[in-house]
Amino acid sequence: MNRVAAALLVWTLTSPSSSGRGDAWPVHMACSSGGLEVLYQSCDPLQDFGLSIDQCSKQIPPQLNIRFGIILREDIRELFLDIALVSRGSSILNFSYPICEEDLPKFSFCGRRKGEQIYYAGPVNNLGIDVPQGEYQVLLELYNENRATVACANATVISS
Amino acid sequence: MAPAISCVFLVALFSASCEAIASTDQMCIEKETNKTYNCENLGLSEIPGTLSNSTECLEFSFNFLPTIQNTTFSRLVNLTFLDLTRCQIYWIHEDTFQSQHQLDTLVLTANPLIFMAETALNGPKSLKHLFFIQTGMSSLDFIPMHNLKNLESLYLGSNHISSIKLPKDFPKEKLKVLDFQNNAIHYLSKEDLGSLQQTTNLSLNLKGNGITGIEPGAFKSTVFQRLDFGGTLDLLVIFKGLQNSTVQSLWLGTFEDVNDEDISSSVFEGLCEMSVESMYLQKHHFFNISSSTFHCFTSLQELDLTATHLKELPSGIVGLKSLKKLVLSANKFTSLCQINAANFPSLTHLYIKGNMKKLDLGTGCLENLENLHLLDLSHDDIEISDCCNMQLKNLSHLQSLNLSYNEPLGLKTEAFQECPQLERLDLAFTQLRVSTEQSPFQNLHLLKVLNLSHCLLDTSNQHVLDGLPVLQHLNLQGNHFPNGNIQKTNPLQTLESLETLILSFCDLSSIDQQAFIRLKIMNHVDLSHNRLTSSSIEALSHLKGIYLNLASNHIDIIPSSLLPILSQQRTISLRGNPLDCTCSNIYFLEWYKENMQKLEDTENTFCANPPLLRGVRLSDVTLSCGITAVGIFFLIVFLLLFTVALIFAVKYFLRWKYQHI
Repeated sequence: MNRVAAALLVWTLTSPSSSGRGDAWPVHMACSSGGLEVLYQSCDPLQDFGLSIDQCSKQIPPQLNIRFGIILREDIRELFLDIALVSRGSSILNFSYPICEEDLPKFSFCGRRKGEQIYYAGPVNNLGIDVPQGEYQVLLELYNENRATVACANATVISS
Repeated sequence: MAPAISCVFLVALFSASCEAIASTDQMCIEKETNKTYNCENLGLSEIPGTLSNSTECLEFSFNFLPTIQNTTFSRLVNLTFLDLTRCQIYWIHEDTFQSQHQLDTLVLTANPLIFMAETALNGPKSLKHLFFIQTGMSSLDFIPMHNLKNLESLYLGSNHISSIKLPKDFPKEKLKVLDFQNNAIHYLSKEDLGSLQQTTNLSLNLKGNGITGIEPGAFKSTVFQRLDFGGTLDLLVIFKGLQNSTVQSLWLGTFEDVNDEDISSSVFEGLCEMSVESMYLQKHHFFNISSSTFHCFTSLQELDLTATHLKELPSGIVGLKSLKKLVLSANKFTSLCQINAANFPSLTHLYIKGNMKKLDLGTGCLENLENLHLLDLSHDDIEISDCCNMQLKNLSHLQSLNLSYNEPLGLKTEAFQECPQLERLDLAFTQLRVSTEQSPFQNLHLLKVLNLSHCLLDTSNQHVLDGLPVLQHLNLQGNHFPNGNIQKTNPLQTLESLETLILSFCDLSSIDQQAFIRLKIMNHVDLSHNRLTSSSIEALSHLKGIYLNLASNHIDIIPSSLLPILSQQRTISLRGNPLDCTCSNIYFLEWYKENMQKLEDTENTFCANPPLLRGVRLSDVTLSCGITAVGIFFLIVFLLLFTVALIFAVKYFLRWKYQHI
């Protein structure tokens, strides 16, 4: 019987622990004020990233300022953002927006290289919108010209 | 006994799982046999023994190599490309690359380097490209320069460098790219530029450095291929500083996250004292553009004013008479006439794409641009009920026209009569309204490339593609044919010069045997993402040596009579079809194995039937359909054994029964 216990012990110690890479990244709060709460979780299995949004409110103003920190896993000579908005299990909105292009690098970080650590604090050039009461799921994906993931976020927006 | 068995079982389970972990954690991806490996993100602390000694190209980023030294790579003597991005390298010791004589490119981006030994880069005979981006460097002295005679590009972005001055003996004869973006360089002195004197046609990148001063005369008699001052706040300083220089390409754009001030016309005065071929001023705000704003732009061949908030350009602009290429994309024009095209009579290339407002093409707004070769009006929300002769009036030399991603356009016969020289026409994702019997492309005698993908074209109109005698490339992706069928008579039959035909995502379920009979020189046919079955292959029987994409269709069984048609082609893709892997498809399965060199994407070509083989690669399937004799033999043996067993059972039963009597 001892041998069984020993084998079990060895098994539990060496088997892939569920708290390691297989586990999801922690849920962070990007902002919470003015009746709006934005929570996000990185869906890139390789890494987490940091995001905080200034002036959080139900009436989202245009030209929001954000702070964003990440390690680039890919060059971002070209960078695109896909947003999928879902509420109560049904899709409301899908769109794709170019952030960096060869002939129009909109932001100063465009053209930076794989491996670089990036910190961006500045405007995002969004439209102003009022968020109706409810809970929304937002999938945000940043990727480059080869469709390689740069960042991926599962966000929950709660407007109360 | 039971505990011992479970123990053995557990140990077996444990060792099996251990093996699985080891194999998934250590595997580099072999991208090219024995030559190119990708070992990214594996947490390796040494070069794995599995890599071939003849490795030439190694992507090793995001691993763990705190110290690299002469033993680290010694085995890989053929390396030409080595990427060590973010490997947590602190130390690069003596002779680290001594045996890498072929090394051409070394990437050390994002490593927190503490020290590089004097001989750290010795060994490579011709080191050409070095990446030291974000390595914490504050001075160029940090890089050992004994062995940099052949250096062509040096990337030093995102460091703490405050001067572009190269060390005294820094070899620069072959230097072509010097990249200092996102550093702390605020001043350029005569001495700094003097250190670059032996270079010829250098591209110097100072983007994101906030240059606040340039010593007068610093750039005197210098010649640069490209100068990038992206994000610089004070353009006046730049233009004054660049006096008497010659620059092929000058990038002065700014960015969304940089607070810029309005540029006044006086800023450009400095341009009169220098020679520039191409200038980029993206995202700036112009204060009060007048006809004299550009009077110093006379030497310019190319001007890029992308996203500069322009609503119109004044008429009678002085200084842009010899401009060849103009980019006015992402601005706020409401009518094409607002660009006052008469300002640019020499223009050959004009780009106005992604206009922020709905663009009205007006009538004859570009009629003065007699030399125009290329016109890009994509993503502009253009909507016209009768296009395009009025709008493109007098553009008789136009060779390339892009009207993709616009609102619906109504086209009548000879819609492009004003541009008879057109060679390329792109209308992708713009809905076309063509009345019955009309031939909008009639008389485009030189048109070679036509993109009509997702145009919702009326393909029941037999004449819609008439009058294109030399058309080589036609993209009809996402258009629909009546009843999902391409009939014997169809609008494609007139395109006798066609070489490439794209009919993917057309919801096709069948193609008539004779549908392509007059298209005799096609060499690339894409029929992917439809609902075609194997019978449609017959439409290609007259073609030889083509690239044929049949991916994601409904092909299950390919009868032997169709195999010769496939055999005569160059490359075929059958990925994503519900292919049958039973004996009813045995001829095709045998053909498949014999013709693997013709097949594309065999890694992802799977069986769909029988259920047992679903998801198995076709290349891994071996059927034995001709082997029924063996089956019969086994059946007989089985029956024989069964009979024997039955006889014995009866015998024992009887014996048992009669014993008890």
